[in-house]
Amino acid sequence: MSLYQESRDGVVAEPTGEVLVEVDDLKTYYGSEGGLLGGNPVKAVDGVSFDIHRGETLGLVGESGCGKSTLGRTLMQLESATAGEVRYDGTDITTLSGKELKEWRQNVQMVFQDPDGSLNDRMTVGEIIKEPLNVHNWKTPTERRQRARELLDIVGLKEDHYYRYPFQFSGGQRQRVGIARALALEPDFLVLDEPVSALDVSVQAKILNLLNDLQEEFGLTYLIIAHDLSVVEHICDRVAVMYLGNIMELGPTDAIFDEPANPYTNSLLSAIPEPDPTLEKSRMTLRGTPPSPRDPPSGCVFSTRCPLKIRPEQYEDLDDDVWEGIEIFRAVLRDRGDLSKSVRQRLRDLLGLETRGMDIEEVLEESFGELDVPSDVQQHIDSAVEHVRRDDLQSAQEELETEFGSVCEQEVPENLPVGDTGRTSHCHRHRDEHEGTLDYIESHGYER
Amino acid sequence: MAVLVIVEFGALWGGIMALPWDTPMGLLTGVLPGAIGGAVAGIASVFADAGAWLADLPTLLSREWIPNQGHRVPGGGWEGTFLGLEPAYAWVIRVAVVYAYAMFTFYWVWRGYMVFRRHYRYADWTPADDMIDRFRGHNWGKFGLVLVMAFVVMAMFAPTISPTTQEQNIMDPYSHNIEYYNDDAGQVMETSVGQANLLSSSKGVQRNFGLWSYDEYDRFHPTGTFTNGKDMFTLTAYGARISLFIGVFASALAGGIALSLALLTAYYKGIVDLATVVASDAFMAMPRLLVLIMLVTVLADHWVANIYSGGFIIAFLFGIWGWMGLWRAVRGPAFQIVENEWVMASKGFGERPWRIVKKHVAPYVIGYLLIYLSMSLGGYIIGAAGLAFLGLGVTAPTPEMGRLIAAGQSLVTTQSWHISIIPGLMISALVLGFNALGDGIRDAIDPKTGGDDAAGEAAAAGGGG
Repeated sequence: MSLYQESRDGVVAEPTGEVLVEVDDLKTYYGSEGGLLGGNPVKAVDGVSFDIHRGETLGLVGESGCGKSTLGRTLMQLESATAGEVRYDGTDITTLSGKELKEWRQNVQMVFQDPDGSLNDRMTVGEIIKEPLNVHNWKTPTERRQRARELLDIVGLKEDHYYRYPFQFSGGQRQRVGIARALALEPDFLVLDEPVSALDVSVQAKILNLLNDLQEEFGLTYLIIAHDLSVVEHICDRVAVMYLGNIMELGPTDAIFDEPANPYTNSLLSAIPEPDPTLEKSRMTLRGTPPSPRDPPSGCVFSTRCPLKIRPEQYEDLDDDVWEGIEIFRAVLRDRGDLSKSVRQRLRDLLGLETRGMDIEEVLEESFGELDVPSDVQQHIDSAVEHVRRDDLQSAQEELETEFGSVCEQEVPENLPVGDTGRTSHCHRHRDEHEGTLDYIESHGYER
Repeated sequence: MAVLVIVEFGALWGGIMALPWDTPMGLLTGVLPGAIGGAVAGIASVFADAGAWLADLPTLLSREWIPNQGHRVPGGGWEGTFLGLEPAYAWVIRVAVVYAYAMFTFYWVWRGYMVFRRHYRYADWTPADDMIDRFRGHNWGKFGLVLVMAFVVMAMFAPTISPTTQEQNIMDPYSHNIEYYNDDAGQVMETSVGQANLLSSSKGVQRNFGLWSYDEYDRFHPTGTFTNGKDMFTLTAYGARISLFIGVFASALAGGIALSLALLTAYYKGIVDLATVVASDAFMAMPRLLVLIMLVTVLADHWVANIYSGGFIIAFLFGIWGWMGLWRAVRGPAFQIVENEWVMASKGFGERPWRIVKKHVAPYVIGYLLIYLSMSLGGYIIGAAGLAFLGLGVTAPTPEMGRLIAAGQSLVTTQSWHISIIPGLMISALVLGFNALGDGIRDAIDPKTGGDDAAGEAAAAGGGG
């Protein structure tokens, strides 16, 4: 342990406020080079900006497929960014290559989600931990061996595990080996990609505590990627909530968990089960699945599923259920008209072969059912249905869009400050002219 | 342990020295002047000298210790043979000593490995242990190993175990003389080997020297004589050398190409992969055998065709035309293994791509490759024999199994059946051995076929989370 501390005297474990990593409008797209058949690129990370302060733990949460792992890998330069900047200690690392990149890599290490897949089974634990040292020609081979043994001790394994194979360890022990490997080069910044989600709950706590201790001891900065909110609440100083390649809300953990501002954060937190079975709760359930990142919605990416979406003025007082019916109806149409369909389907469309076979009555029944739909709404729906019957999904969507669409679908929201804790939220509702999220939640009878 | 090493040191050194040094050295001297030009000729000659010197070093197991070439003496009995024994017995003793030595060396290496594994190695278990243990329980694979080892020993010790020497009997028979006891004259006379060969040929009905026979010149032929009177056993022993060389060299070349391409395509994917697919299709679209026949014919007068009596060019062409199937077979596994997070982790701390694939991908792919190689190795040997049968490839007088078979073909129905049958059986056994060995290796590498692997896990219990 002393080895580590020598070089780190005076490092404060607490967040210092000094910015270590600055991410500026970062974009990572896949498959944009796909050419003829590729269609739109997958926008895994689509314009993300945030800072990570030295010594802090930033959590990155979101549903699977929202791009959080891609973001982590882009920060590590394991994926190349399509646009934007990542500044580490002032240098833009997206432009580094060759020797500089290799040098820089010493500063940033990653711990992977799956401890089974992240350790090469044909190497002994000692070799695995020594590997980064070998790559960077760290001191002499004897010192490397010594260092590997020390690292084993630091992460709570025994030194005589040096000659064992990963095969012989449990998941938690393997994850410790992974952490030891990540620490080998004395990095300042660790990207932890779901470090505990593959582990038993009892082991999870041990690993999280280990991470906490290591951070205090060595003054590390963490970016923790997780989908488990309780993990994030337990360990993070600040949290970034991600949805479809965008950061929806970013702020101190306490503030976000106590009083979420963004509608998406609200829905996420609302999904946490309560331990009390008698408690009746009107949850803000999320409809359907996230849209395809190949063809994200216009305006706010969350607009297709948002329960707090801003309505056009004339529908401000429309019954919530009818509004939801309209939204479901539009979601179905959108789904059918999805641009990210297969090549075969696209070919068929080009040839004019109709394959969708949508039963519009069924959709209507599902969306509105027994609801008492006001006539002005009904009128537009009927018109849309007419378009659908003529196989003109495009017009049907446009019709509904012009009538029921709002700023949420037309404009990309800014990251607006919320409260006085430096929190930002990606939502139009924080503008003065709209009803704030909290007020809306209260006035519409949702509970968190 | 140390005592074991000291006791064995002499014998081991003998084994190292008994390697056919002249073969690679001859190859080297053959390649260098042509390939690089006159400037390096000086260096080449140094290599040649070093090779010759190494080849001339005295060895522990040499034919001079137990000679079997002698002649009868008027009063009965033999002169010039080991302890005055009959040449057949002297030869049997020499072969037995060579194989005993080989077996002992093998046993010693195995024993040494076990001792190392049990007492000296830091890790008390490695994944390779399980593979070796599984192979130990695989009788068919062990049978293959024994066959292959028997051939390797025969090829390695060909100068020692053949009843006569290649130089004397095959390459330059008219420059060597032998003594023999002439029954008619009742005295020991001298003649050239070429002359003796002429009267020792096996030609079916008119004259035949079959298995385990002496010719009229007091020479012993364990597996008879060839159609021109040369010793069959010597021919097949040296033929085994060429066959093994072709098989191993072609496999190494094809396997090397296949492995590098598999690693390359798996790591870079995309356009590299596509290019390789197209290249392999292009190679596959050409009928291999016809192309080989064409190239062997076209290159017949080129200096390349003279290296190792044409064995090199055959092996080289087999290698160049052999990688496609192997590459396809290992491409899938390679793609799968590159997706593992440990590869990503390795990138994460800045490892170079070449080292990543070498350390983190290749060890997994080589297992698959070995299996396919052991299957195709037999094919190369058979292929080379087939070409020789057609009169292509390895040139006379260098012995090649296929040519021996071809020469004896018309005599199969006569007393001289051994000319075709013996090399035919040998080559079948060799290919069978490699296939059986391949089966064994495959089953050893694939953990699903063997006992349980949980033993190691218990050993690691305790410590950590």
